[in-house]
Amino acid sequence: MENLKANVILDAKGLACPMPIVKTKKAMNSLEAGQVLEVQATDKGSKADMKAWAESTGHHYLGTIEEGEVLKHYLRKSSKDEASEKKHPNVINNEELEKKMEANENIVIIDVREAAEYAFNHIPNALSIPLGELKERINELNKQVETFVVCRTGNRSDLAAQKLAAHGFANVINVVPGMSGWIGKTTGINK
Amino acid sequence: MTKRVAIIASNGGLFDAYKVFNIATAAAATDQEVDIFFTFEGLNLIHKEANKQLPMPEGKEHFADGFAKANVPSISELAAIAQEMGVKFIGCQMTMDVMGLEKEDFVDGIEVGGAVTFLEFAKDADVTLTF
Repeated sequence: MENLKANVILDAKGLACPMPIVKTKKAMNSLEAGQVLEVQATDKGSKADMKAWAESTGHHYLGTIEEGEVLKHYLRKSSKDEASEKKHPNVINNEELEKKMEANENIVIIDVREAAEYAFNHIPNALSIPLGELKERINELNKQVETFVVCRTGNRSDLAAQKLAAHGFANVINVVPGMSGWIGKTTGINK
Repeated sequence: MTKRVAIIASNGGLFDAYKVFNIATAAAATDQEVDIFFTFEGLNLIHKEANKQLPMPEGKEHFADGFAKANVPSISELAAIAQEMGVKFIGCQMTMDVMGLEKEDFVDGIEVGGAVTFLEFAKDADVTLTF
């Protein structure tokens, strides 16, 4: 079982519609942008509801895991500054990265999204290092090889790429936009 | 821009009440602006006493067990949750006059107005529902 590392867990088990959504809305207010909420519910309609709710409120529905009667929904709180300016000079678009992957299977791709985002959907062979853990896990990486950094929209990966470059990584490339526009191969739970 | 939901509640049964408050709280939880205009028997849904004992439709009384089993909140709880989330309740002045009811007979925080009060809100609504 993969560790999905939610920042906050909401127990909405045993509650009927619309209470799981009402509680989710309240719980979401307590999260910081970018954090992950796990909602545990037994209302079977909650799966479709969570998806629709996230869509209209602008938060990100990551996915649902079913454990017996319990549905575990994962949502990530959106941040307001999604369209911020990217500073790392070295970028590549999704299509170019896909071509490179086809040409060379041993390419290094780091996915800096939260563990729960990675768990549901990621590029095969991408290594999961959430942005918040990058500093302490930087030693796991080889500074000499070409390293591609990916997130959802290219912002977190921009920060990560800057961090890696500052730590002496010679060849770091930010993937833009990243998973939000990725149409190539992916893998994850429920797939 | 915030979506706007305008609801007219004109029936006073328990099922009607759930339809109104479930949609209203779900919409409010989805960051939508919600106004409910309570008119005729719909006023029972926010009447302090009446909304604790709303009738099931005739012949459907056996659903009471289902409500209890599904852990569905009571109507007065749902009304309070709706208000807490910013849903605005408007009582119809004309119906209140006809039925001899005062603002104090209803849950706290309602507004009282005429049809135009509601229409003013509803003219820009993205969703309009009648129950």
